[in-house]
Amino acid sequence: MEFAELIKTPRVDNVVLHRPFYPAVEGTLCLTGHHLILSSRQDNTEELWLLHSNIDAIDKTSEWRLSYVNKEFAVCPSYPPIVIVPKSIDDEALRKVAMFRHGGRFPVLSYYHKKNGMVIMRSGQPLTGTNGRRCKEDEKLINATLRAGKRGYIIDTRSLNVAQQARAKGGGFEQEAHYPQWRRIHKSIERYHILQESLIKLVEACNEQAHNMDRWLSKLEASNWLTHIKEILTTACLAAQCIDREGASILIHGTEGIDSTLQVTSLAQIILEPRSRTIRGFEALIEREWLQAGHPFQQRCAQSAYCNSKQKWEAPVFLLFLDCVWQILRQFPCSFEFNERFLTMLFEHAYASQFGTFLGNNESERCKLKLQQKTMSLWSWVNRPSELSKLTNPLFEANNLVIWPSVAPQSLQLWEGIFLRWNRTSKYLDEAYEEMVNIIEYNKELQAKVNILRRQLAELETEDGMQESP
Amino acid sequence: MEFSELIRTGRAQAQLLRGPEAPPLRGTLCVTGHHLLLSPGPQSTPDLWLLLLRSVDSIEKRVAGDSGTITLRCKDLRVLQLEIEGVEATLDIARSIEALSSLESVITSFPFFYRPKGLRLGDSWHFLPPERYYKRVARETDAWRLSEVNEDFGLCPSYPRAVIVPRAVDDDVLARSARFRQGGRFPVLSYSHAPSGTVLLRSSQPLTGPQKRRCAEDEELLRAVLAGARPGARGFILDTRSAQAAKQARMTGGGTEAKAAYPGWKRLHRPLERGRPLQESFVRLVEACGDPEQSMDRWLSRLEGCRWLAHVKEALSTACLAAQAMEREGACILVHGAEGTDSTLLVTSLAQLILDPMSRTIAGFQELIEREWIQAGHPFQLRCAHSAFSQARPKHEAPTFLLFLDCVWQLGRQFPLSLEFGEGLLLALFEHAYASPFGTFLCNSEKERCLCEVRTRTHSLWSGLNQPKEQRKLRNPLYVLNPLAIWPSVEPQSLRLWQGLFLRWTHPPEPAEVAWEKVWQIVTGREETEGSQPTASA
Repeated sequence: MEFAELIKTPRVDNVVLHRPFYPAVEGTLCLTGHHLILSSRQDNTEELWLLHSNIDAIDKTSEWRLSYVNKEFAVCPSYPPIVIVPKSIDDEALRKVAMFRHGGRFPVLSYYHKKNGMVIMRSGQPLTGTNGRRCKEDEKLINATLRAGKRGYIIDTRSLNVAQQARAKGGGFEQEAHYPQWRRIHKSIERYHILQESLIKLVEACNEQAHNMDRWLSKLEASNWLTHIKEILTTACLAAQCIDREGASILIHGTEGIDSTLQVTSLAQIILEPRSRTIRGFEALIEREWLQAGHPFQQRCAQSAYCNSKQKWEAPVFLLFLDCVWQILRQFPCSFEFNERFLTMLFEHAYASQFGTFLGNNESERCKLKLQQKTMSLWSWVNRPSELSKLTNPLFEANNLVIWPSVAPQSLQLWEGIFLRWNRTSKYLDEAYEEMVNIIEYNKELQAKVNILRRQLAELETEDGMQESP
Repeated sequence: MEFSELIRTGRAQAQLLRGPEAPPLRGTLCVTGHHLLLSPGPQSTPDLWLLLLRSVDSIEKRVAGDSGTITLRCKDLRVLQLEIEGVEATLDIARSIEALSSLESVITSFPFFYRPKGLRLGDSWHFLPPERYYKRVARETDAWRLSEVNEDFGLCPSYPRAVIVPRAVDDDVLARSARFRQGGRFPVLSYSHAPSGTVLLRSSQPLTGPQKRRCAEDEELLRAVLAGARPGARGFILDTRSAQAAKQARMTGGGTEAKAAYPGWKRLHRPLERGRPLQESFVRLVEACGDPEQSMDRWLSRLEGCRWLAHVKEALSTACLAAQAMEREGACILVHGAEGTDSTLLVTSLAQLILDPMSRTIAGFQELIEREWIQAGHPFQLRCAHSAFSQARPKHEAPTFLLFLDCVWQLGRQFPLSLEFGEGLLLALFEHAYASPFGTFLCNSEKERCLCEVRTRTHSLWSGLNQPKEQRKLRNPLYVLNPLAIWPSVEPQSLRLWQGLFLRWTHPPEPAEVAWEKVWQIVTGREETEGSQPTASA
């Protein structure tokens, strides 16, 4: 099969591209075997590669398709306009499935594992209710992701108890009778105000001039923050293990599918896919699995740990995710292209930012607010070379591995860079970092010089050689 | 006693499991007088695997069917498992290891037999720290002199031959003062801080007893110290026992310096843990670290309960206090506990790391350890007889030196550019203090080392570590000379569990080592590129 056979029109001019957070771009669109390339006529925008990083996966397999059923945000208000679903399910079926899932969040593709073709899907809880409602389209949809004769796993981020109690309010879980090929695992992850309280207690403990080691450790334990980290990382490892080691596809959901679900899907990708550990790959991950996936940033990050007014929907879900990424980064210091500062920067901007990236609760709101016309994108600032150089990890060595973090409590540490940032000057650590960066820069300069001198030497030698021959 | 009497079975077939660190090794196991050897089978690597028997802390054996398993828990916290073919072989080997790993005699220990290629006997023993340090002091001030009153170790069996004392005080005064101090440890100079003209001294407790005895010579000695320091200098006596413990010590013949007898000197109490409670703290910490299945709550609970980090905080705080008094308040300090051989040395050596940039270089740090721990008479043989896994009845063991290394590590973490050495050196010192082919940490005092002829018949650890091929693991590639004092934060939030030591064997070290290697490559790459720039040719 030649790629050329699949590409009907390799090039189209005068295409206008609309994307969230960026102004509309006009240019020439080219289709290659693996990418969509938009080359802009305007001077100040660069070439854009790979509009949707999962298109790569779809191109290769043809088991999946892009669906525009949600393009008016009518089917699911918190999903983006384009989602990836199994090819065999049509848009009508999707509408029916959306009515069976909390918030209309029908199962969509989150990640495709190239090594063995297994996938991570995510959704909201099924609205089985006390009557044990079922939806054949829903069953068909997720069964479509299974290979013949293979089983899948459903990871429910609520305890069995909580999941059962959800039925009284119209929610529930996938019953074995209706989903015989799927095995359900419950891995409880805390959410909502419990997380916010945990953050508040932790920050209090960090700020206390305790002068007493026992009191400090006591308060650290009582905040339970590290317990939450361990819970989330353990579930993410479980998800990754199902995909990579068991060779099974998984579906992840909690209640609404906008908090712990996203923590698990995004962390699992960090574990499984080396590309998410590069800067661009990580940015794409955040765009895809948090921003476009509809994590309600506006509500969750309205207030942080110091606020005195009554808390409603706030919860440090994204911060916990960043903390988990930091834990993995610490255990694998050479496997990430970005450094801790990158994560700290994302934490700051999620709560308060001059950029529009983290505004709104989902794509629908961002479109209504016309953010792409009215605000600047965080990524456009971060990706400038002068900024990027401060956020790059000098020890990065690209590898193709799946990295398995240790979740033993001894391996997890308090993220000093966030929680103890203002307690004492990090001047010395910064200096050490500066020193390292300077060394690398100087190294590059010297190498360049050496190359020039070598070339000159070679030229001189050939000149001599030419002069010598008669 | 012949070693061969203790070895019941010479050899057996075995497989060695080394945990996450490396793949298992299969081969022939042999027990020799000092080592356990595994000679790998034809399909494995050609290297011989060796374990110094002295590094075994505890041994557990289990037999099932026709083979057995021996679990060796080492003093450096590594756990190894041997699967041996043959029940009788297993039991015999276990018994041999047990007997050989706990031999108490110094002169038949391995350092007396260790003769590696490339090292000459007598190397690196030549630098005598008190003498060398005295030369440095004499350059800055002439208020001090080197006294050899303890030449034959008659006055104080735990001090070295030469000590630094005030010039104005003669040897008779020292002799009397020695009789007034526990173990003969009269006040001697530990460190002279030139920028402020003040000094740090150490000693043991005065033997005031219930009758509140005094000693005019001891008082004269301390008066001379203040007189020789910066004019108007005050003195602080830093007692590493609580006020209550110090008072109780009088009942058994010890005590504290009476206020009236030592005008100009004010006493402060900063209790530091020592002895049995410190060893227990170490044991409980290692236990907690060894359990990866526990919940986060339990882990944090156990971490708090063992109080190890609390001890680290106390040690660093006290050292900071001493350093601050010297540098900022222009005061002289005398540090002592009861015996003056444990927490005293912890405080004086840490205070020097804080104040003196020289002690942060590799050479300076080695000298600091020689001077303030080894020659100052810290009883290594007793303190490091057993580590955290030992099941033997505890006698005099205590991880005071390890606590010192932990505090140094905390300093290095807070000031990553200011120490010329890295974690590798601290880990090496921890290992060798408990079990070593080198003679540096043998015995309890200089006197014992002279009797056993340690310096002429064993190799010094420093000559081993200072070989070029070891340097890469021990040096800090980011080091820049920092002429200032470095003041660590002792807030509990700033102190961390030393993962590299306590969790060294439970988590694969690979990523951290790869990162260290990468940093080295970057740094030496720069140096090589600088060096390889071709000079312009004519």
